[in-house]
Amino acid sequence: MAGVPMPDLARKSRRTGLSPIVLALPLALFFLLCLSSGTFRSLENLANVNSQIAALMIASLGQGIVAISGGIDLSVGSVMSLTSAILVTADPAWGVPLALAMGVGVGLVNGFGVTLFRVHPLVMTLATMTFVQGVALLLHPVPGGAVPGYLRTLAVSQVAGLPAAFFWCAAAILAAWYLLGRSPFGLRTYAVGANPVSAGRNGIAVTRLKVACFVLCSLSAVVAGIFLTARVGAGDATMGNPYSLDTVTAMALGGVQLAGGTGSVLGIVAGVITLGLISNGMNLLGVSPFLRAALTGGLLLVAIGLQRREAIGA
Amino acid sequence: MTGDALSPSGMTGHWLRSAGRTLLSLPFAYAAMLILLVVAYFMRPALLSPMLLLLIARQTAPLGIAVLGQSLCMRVLSLDLSTGGVIVGVSYILTSGLLPYSEPVLLLIAVVFGIAVGLLNAFFITRLRASSVIVTLAVTLVITGVAVAFSQLRSPGDAPEILRQVARLKIGIVPVVLVIWAALLLAVAVFIRWSVFGRYIDAIGANPRAAWVSGIPYVRVVTIVHVMSSLFSVFAGFLLIGFVGVGSMDLGRDLALNSLAAVILGGVTFGSGKGGVLGPTVAALMLTFSFNLLTSLGLGEPAKLMLQGIIIGVAAAAYSVQRRN
Amino acid sequence: MISFDKVTKRFGSNLALCDVSFDCDAGTVHAITGENGAGKSTLMNLLAGLFPADSGEIRLRGKPVSPENPADARRLGISTIFQELTLLPNLTIAENLFLGREPIRRGTVDRAAMREQARSMMARLGSSMDVDAYCGDLSVADLHLVEIAKGVSVDADIFIFDEPTAALNAPEVEKLGELLATLKAAGKLVFYVSHRLEEIFRFCDRVSVLKDGLHVETRATQALTRDELVSLMVGRVLSKFFPARPARPDGAPVALSVDDLQVRDGGPTVSFDLRRGEIVGLAGLEGQGQRNIIRALSGLEPSVGGKVMKGSEAGPTPLGGDVVKTVLAGVGFVPEDRKTEGLYLPLSINENITLGMLRRLPVWQMVRGRHHVIAGLMRRLNIRSAGARQAVGELSGGNQQKVMIGRWLAAGIDVLLLEEPTRGVDVGAKAEIYGLLREFTNGGGAVLTVSSELLELLGLCDRILVVRRNEIVAELDGAQTSEEEVMRHALVGGAEDGGRADA
Repeated sequence: MAGVPMPDLARKSRRTGLSPIVLALPLALFFLLCLSSGTFRSLENLANVNSQIAALMIASLGQGIVAISGGIDLSVGSVMSLTSAILVTADPAWGVPLALAMGVGVGLVNGFGVTLFRVHPLVMTLATMTFVQGVALLLHPVPGGAVPGYLRTLAVSQVAGLPAAFFWCAAAILAAWYLLGRSPFGLRTYAVGANPVSAGRNGIAVTRLKVACFVLCSLSAVVAGIFLTARVGAGDATMGNPYSLDTVTAMALGGVQLAGGTGSVLGIVAGVITLGLISNGMNLLGVSPFLRAALTGGLLLVAIGLQRREAIGA
Repeated sequence: MTGDALSPSGMTGHWLRSAGRTLLSLPFAYAAMLILLVVAYFMRPALLSPMLLLLIARQTAPLGIAVLGQSLCMRVLSLDLSTGGVIVGVSYILTSGLLPYSEPVLLLIAVVFGIAVGLLNAFFITRLRASSVIVTLAVTLVITGVAVAFSQLRSPGDAPEILRQVARLKIGIVPVVLVIWAALLLAVAVFIRWSVFGRYIDAIGANPRAAWVSGIPYVRVVTIVHVMSSLFSVFAGFLLIGFVGVGSMDLGRDLALNSLAAVILGGVTFGSGKGGVLGPTVAALMLTFSFNLLTSLGLGEPAKLMLQGIIIGVAAAAYSVQRRN
Repeated sequence: MISFDKVTKRFGSNLALCDVSFDCDAGTVHAITGENGAGKSTLMNLLAGLFPADSGEIRLRGKPVSPENPADARRLGISTIFQELTLLPNLTIAENLFLGREPIRRGTVDRAAMREQARSMMARLGSSMDVDAYCGDLSVADLHLVEIAKGVSVDADIFIFDEPTAALNAPEVEKLGELLATLKAAGKLVFYVSHRLEEIFRFCDRVSVLKDGLHVETRATQALTRDELVSLMVGRVLSKFFPARPARPDGAPVALSVDDLQVRDGGPTVSFDLRRGEIVGLAGLEGQGQRNIIRALSGLEPSVGGKVMKGSEAGPTPLGGDVVKTVLAGVGFVPEDRKTEGLYLPLSINENITLGMLRRLPVWQMVRGRHHVIAGLMRRLNIRSAGARQAVGELSGGNQQKVMIGRWLAAGIDVLLLEEPTRGVDVGAKAEIYGLLREFTNGGGAVLTVSSELLELLGLCDRILVVRRNEIVAELDGAQTSEEEVMRHALVGGAEDGGRADA
């Protein structure tokens, strides 16, 4: 009821999806890891964690925009891989523009497939995921190759004692925060995600908006791919593989409802940090990388199982 | 009836139009298969020899069986991408030697494992209403991760003798594998066509909300479909392991996406409430044939992936457009 | 300002509007009225840009227009307050009011300005709601107020109000009246879609009556009496449509006994018996909880408390909370919305009906076609089609409704729960459906129905239970009671809180 005062968090959670658990989880993990492992506390490791999660952060923010608009994008990982392949095979001057153009292209295909052709977003993006993966392998079958020097510098140098990854993250978060939280585009994205029919009756161009969301998501995947490739220092056409599902896990952990209309930048950031800390923690505790993959899958199952949806099926 | 429809010219026009519509409503797989055969005839006629065709058919069998499960899932508006995970699990159960049992018992354990995975998928999809794609992908991650982690301790060994025998045996010139596939195909086709279960699947596919409102046992039907799909994955795994002869953690990895592509190409789409068994089967053959053609043309894995992606995307879009008209 | 010229619109085989022509002037409040399904909303939706007309012309200041979508209509100066709410639950009141035309300051949405203007917009309607509240947290009545505020705030020349008062209380309706007067004084044209006679006479200058898609009359309200208007709307003697009510033996066995059923936490409880051989109607204003009761009985919506027993030869069996079990026990539910909840549109008539007959069979059972049963049933129901293999989606509304009822008749159920049994059904099929239901009860079945058409309940039912605020407030004999008596029970005291029920 309008008159009843409600705690701000609870009231806004209708839109943000934030709950005390979403915010407490990364903090609790942080303290837990601080207590249990001396290595974790070290500045080196913290900088390392930051670098590890930067690519996931950038890609997840893009996934978040699509998720809030009511879609999902499984091609994120392949786009990252193809970006990597492009960067090490194309002329250094053209690598980044080419990769960005590719991102726009993939986003447009996803967007138009979902809107004009009404293919289910999961099926549509599975298709582009597979196709783009194929192109990446065609372009750069064996991992290796050199990354343009300026990118390497941008990804690994330190400024004022802070790792470059920190600035990549900060820039991505700021951009997403402006788009989702401050711009008319964001408001309309929330509206379309909650109910595209109602949004249309309010005069919003639903198709155009959804296509824009997919393009933004692919572009953020390209940026994540650029960062990851530059950090690793070599191209790898399967580098992005885990990211398609990891970004979805981050959504679920961050309170972003895959049904659309609910989610926030703060939640996504919290979800990414949670996932990153779990990963780093398992690493420090010496869990085998394969078991780590299994645990990530289990985490995804639990997180996605806790979201309530209306529909049964795809 | 209007006067126009009764006049001779009207009748022919009508007949032509309805014939055209019937042709257009056939699964794309048929046309694609035809085109492919023509292309092969001109570019790689060797592929069309009966022996090679039989070999390709044999090679298709695991995919063909997985497709049976996938098409059932798709018809109840769900998807099962855990095929690869199930097969890796089955491979590990059968070949690691970790379980000290006789071959028949191991096969039984593999079947039980399949049922368990199906139930797990169904639980998340129906009870917790999570997205089927995400659930089955996550389940695949879990199974593969655990199996690979364990295989660091103890690497997989030889396949059970029964499975290797089955893969080798022939009746005349027809591989036993093909007979098994055909038998399963027939059983599923008959069951779905004539059983209460089949009617329920049609109903859910046509309008899930109405199925729920009119008291069709929705949750039970979707659960059974997912268990069946996992079981078909287990059977597909049996054949694959028999073919290869040893256990491997890479078996059947692309089966999930291939089965999805085959089902869509075979004319089963979300929300139509229709779909046969034959279309997806032809599509499975067509896919395997096209991969062989690509290989013979010197194009490898990347081309395969691109073809898969194009098939899934373009066929899904085309059916969706067709349905609206 | 607006002229409709031979406007025609069909939905499938259903003729929703046929050659509708009349003119409307600026500076008037123009009522569009008629029974449910007369075509009122269809006509307005054409103007609002939801779909195009099949033929005919709409002229705005003499120029033909055909808005392609709501945004296009808004550009033409047409603002619509839709009957179904278009507010987004995850946006605040202020954000909803400005969605699609947000004030921008330095590249960001100017929230301060938005809040400020939103407050004054709500104040115009006499509301002091917190404009930062999320719409998902508001009551239905409040949502309607916001919806109205949004529609009116658009700079338009033509405003369409589609059943705006369905959920409003008396003081809010009063405010709405003032608002309409302001718009009129500003020279705007206001369409007021409603079948509430009192409001038509109070607020409107002219009234156009539609019936079965045809334009009956357009007149000045001052030149009309209440009775004249009613006869224009109805224009036929309904009693002929309804089958005779047989004498009811008192001792008929109970088919469904409802004991202290509670549909929402802390809400009131309802208790009643449904006996074999009778048709019982739940009457009341929109949104008073009739639908919740019938949906709880069907197992579709959870009930908080109470006991529902299904009577049968073997003794009473409990029902509750599960559609599958309810159907298995012999209780069938016919939803209001055929297309989304009732029928499998791509499937054939045969398949749609057969699905009901399978309810007791195990899923692995093999079944054979039952063509003769279906053919017999189709003859009995008089379903007009190209054959049992025709897709249900291609049938007219009346025939679709018959298929839906036929599914349960073929299934051999003995209690039918119906929501709006004849919505969107043409007149002839209505009579046939009433006949079918009576035939069903004469054969020992029992029917419980919810309908927003009071005349239908009065003509069809043996007993009418009046529901107000989730409570049964009166039990009336269908043959004896009158429209006035039902309305008196439905309104008394309740008008103050009408519509709050769904909050």
